[in-house]
Amino acid sequence: MKKFLGLVAVASALSFGSTIGLDALGEEHVLGGTASAAGRGFAGGAKTGDAEGVAVTNPARLAFDQKVVFNLNFLIEMDLVSGNHDDFSSVGITLPSFNLSFPMGDFGAMGLSLWQHYASSFNQETEESDAKLEYAGSVYELVPTYALRLPYLRSFSLGVSGHYVLGSISRSLTLKKNLDGLDSSDVWGVADYSLTDYVEGTWEIKDHPMYYTFALQYRGREASYYFSYTTGYTLQNDLKYNFRISEVDSLAPTKNTRLIDVPAMFATGVNYRFKKKHNVMMDLTWRAWDSDIENMAGSWNMEKETRTQGDFMASLGYQCDGSGLFYDPYWKQINYRVGAWYRDWYIDGVNEFGGSIGAGFPLGRKGTTVDLALQGGMRFADTNSEWDEAFFAIRIGLTGIGSWGQSRR
Amino acid sequence: MKKKRFVFLLVLALVLTSCLFESSENGLDSWMEEKGMPTSYKVQTLTIGDLKAASAEVFMDTLPRSANYRAVLGHVANLSHDMVFDFFFTADTNFLKKFKADDSASVYLLLALQKDFYTDKEFPKDSLEVEEELDIQISWILDHGRKNKFKDSLSNITDSIWYESLEDWSDVSVVDTTLKVSLSKLDSSVRVDLPEALLKELKETERHTRLQLKISAPKASRLYRFYGAGADEPPYLSMYASSKYLPFAPSRMASIVHNEEDCKECLILHGGVFDSLVVEIPQEAIMKALSEFYGEDFPVSEKEEFDVRQNVVLAELTMARDDSKGFSELGLPIQVVVGSFVDSADGVTRKMESYRLNNEEILDVGHQNLVFHDGDSLKVQLTMGLRDFINRASDDRGLKFMMRLGFPFLQEKDTTYMSYITDRRDTVRLRLDNSDYARYDFSSVLESSMTLKLWLASKRAFKEEDK
Repeated sequence: MKKFLGLVAVASALSFGSTIGLDALGEEHVLGGTASAAGRGFAGGAKTGDAEGVAVTNPARLAFDQKVVFNLNFLIEMDLVSGNHDDFSSVGITLPSFNLSFPMGDFGAMGLSLWQHYASSFNQETEESDAKLEYAGSVYELVPTYALRLPYLRSFSLGVSGHYVLGSISRSLTLKKNLDGLDSSDVWGVADYSLTDYVEGTWEIKDHPMYYTFALQYRGREASYYFSYTTGYTLQNDLKYNFRISEVDSLAPTKNTRLIDVPAMFATGVNYRFKKKHNVMMDLTWRAWDSDIENMAGSWNMEKETRTQGDFMASLGYQCDGSGLFYDPYWKQINYRVGAWYRDWYIDGVNEFGGSIGAGFPLGRKGTTVDLALQGGMRFADTNSEWDEAFFAIRIGLTGIGSWGQSRR
Repeated sequence: MKKKRFVFLLVLALVLTSCLFESSENGLDSWMEEKGMPTSYKVQTLTIGDLKAASAEVFMDTLPRSANYRAVLGHVANLSHDMVFDFFFTADTNFLKKFKADDSASVYLLLALQKDFYTDKEFPKDSLEVEEELDIQISWILDHGRKNKFKDSLSNITDSIWYESLEDWSDVSVVDTTLKVSLSKLDSSVRVDLPEALLKELKETERHTRLQLKISAPKASRLYRFYGAGADEPPYLSMYASSKYLPFAPSRMASIVHNEEDCKECLILHGGVFDSLVVEIPQEAIMKALSEFYGEDFPVSEKEEFDVRQNVVLAELTMARDDSKGFSELGLPIQVVVGSFVDSADGVTRKMESYRLNNEEILDVGHQNLVFHDGDSLKVQLTMGLRDFINRASDDRGLKFMMRLGFPFLQEKDTTYMSYITDRRDTVRLRLDNSDYARYDFSSVLESSMTLKLWLASKRAFKEEDK
């Protein structure tokens, strides 16, 4: 436990990611950011059969699981941000999710996930002017899930999950003095202070404890489908602003609450299995943003709003299932994955192409697996204030499988 | 083995990508600029002239205070200072018998002049010739008891209770007498022969005695400084009988100030005591200047409760100065110290302001927060006060600050602002350790207009021409 907490502390201290949308919501981690789904290009919401645990867009899938699954994911992402004939890079580690699922036989299945839905993480110092900019924000969701196979129609399942939103955000911009334009006789009055423009706040859902996802899944011998609907909600971000010389400054902060209307999301996916172990899958998600997002900033010359667009993601993936038989050669036991995706971000003019390869390595006979996914791609920003990004990511997932509560039949 | 392979793969990937993703030097600066973020804060100055005080009030300090280390007696700058001693002693019963029986018994007080002050090179040498026979009044309160219960009850009288009791010094015996003080005889004690009436009362005491003794010299031509009860040379009360002396040092001492200023409306501050002058400047002129400067409504828009869109890096208030109505004992410049009233945890607290040095000005014309020196202006720095004032200006409050006379200042044109030892091993002191019991009239100073200069760092959008 201590090692785990230590890892969480290190990950949270080192977490930087995309620079796009830092003042809006940040980077969205789709599908709970599991390494297994990432290996297939984020496709496979409809894929049943192996113990993948909770899928945040498709709670109904859980009903087909037969084993207790614990799953923890890490993400190491490197970004090269470029625009205006300049570039800079950042590297960071984060923990996008961990999931726990309990199948309960005829009583359905329950799951719980902690999911970092949006992350704005950034920590850099400029070389020339010695300014320091730090964003540390996470919209976390605690997602309890329940799924049940229908009586008689055993190929169908229904699932529902609630998303309890929590988290915090802060932005700290520390600046050194600039004496340009100041009369030389007035220079004495400027002490060598570093001034920090500091914003901090918390996340919650306005007027509601949770938002919800409902899903219906069909599992066929060859083809499986799901369809899910996630309710719209309003994110409430209570912010406090200060412009301070030290952390113990006595100035009363200016307060602001920004409300972000997140629209309902539709998601669907299909998984087609052939020759027993080969799977081809495709997933689509879509949200229609009506309103723009008020930025966290609102000072200096920074944009006050981030314009939104309909966000859309299409992903295509392939997985070759491992044999699952411990006496087979090791290479036959490995799950092989490959995938690609296209995504329009929620931010106007930002889209992303990416591809990934991945593998799931079984460890021992009990089904414990290490999933690895290597991803790369580009984010194109067709706006003035955002720059393009090339990214390379390594995702590692640790999946533990147990058969608690399962009786021998 | 497999784990090692993973780690190797990871490290390899990181190394490869970090080579691939090498960034340029100015990338982040350029990205921040494009986002409308600054990479440094710009400092701008704003001068607001013609400010007039809306109110000014002097709070005179007449509360009895501790004189345990230094005690003063006499009259100066329209204040007269009394010395009060609190003696407690348990006399030897044998001696007490002899004291009561002896007709030639006497009692007197020995005081030591504050030698370190009078021998200080800053003390005017001609004043050392002073010799004066003071008309003094001696008054006392005598309590005594035989039992330990009485003794124990005295320990319950804390200093604060005692100081409070001194404000009502009535129903006591008063005797007029004289006292000769000569500043040229610093090594010998000043002897105060205590009156017969007191001697008679002392002869009637039982074992435990408490004597509170007050000496006043309201008609003295100047102020005399003595060592207090806790100093190396404390005063002694000496009882004499049958060729024997029994000396007692006071357990504590206090100083009582009588204010004899005629003009109650005048804004007069005295040195050496905690007189304070509280000034309030109305907010309108400052707010108007700020809104013109920023080109938008000030203090804040309706939505915002507080304004933290700028930080006051420094604030300096300049006022006219007229030393002619003032008086100082030592002829040295005296520092004016200031404090601002700022919000703290739903209340208002007074914080003393720090002082930033303008080296060029100091070397040229000296520190400008002094009175009794060359020049005709006084500059006080109110940085903390202005930061708080602008932050909360939406609640219509004015700019409120407090001024007080500090210690005599010894580095008029020195920019070190600290005591130091020179290469030739001479000590250069920042200020004198002893107060100058001076008097300064701020009435005319506050009638004339003041100028406020602000050094501001702002989060407000830069105008096109500022970019």
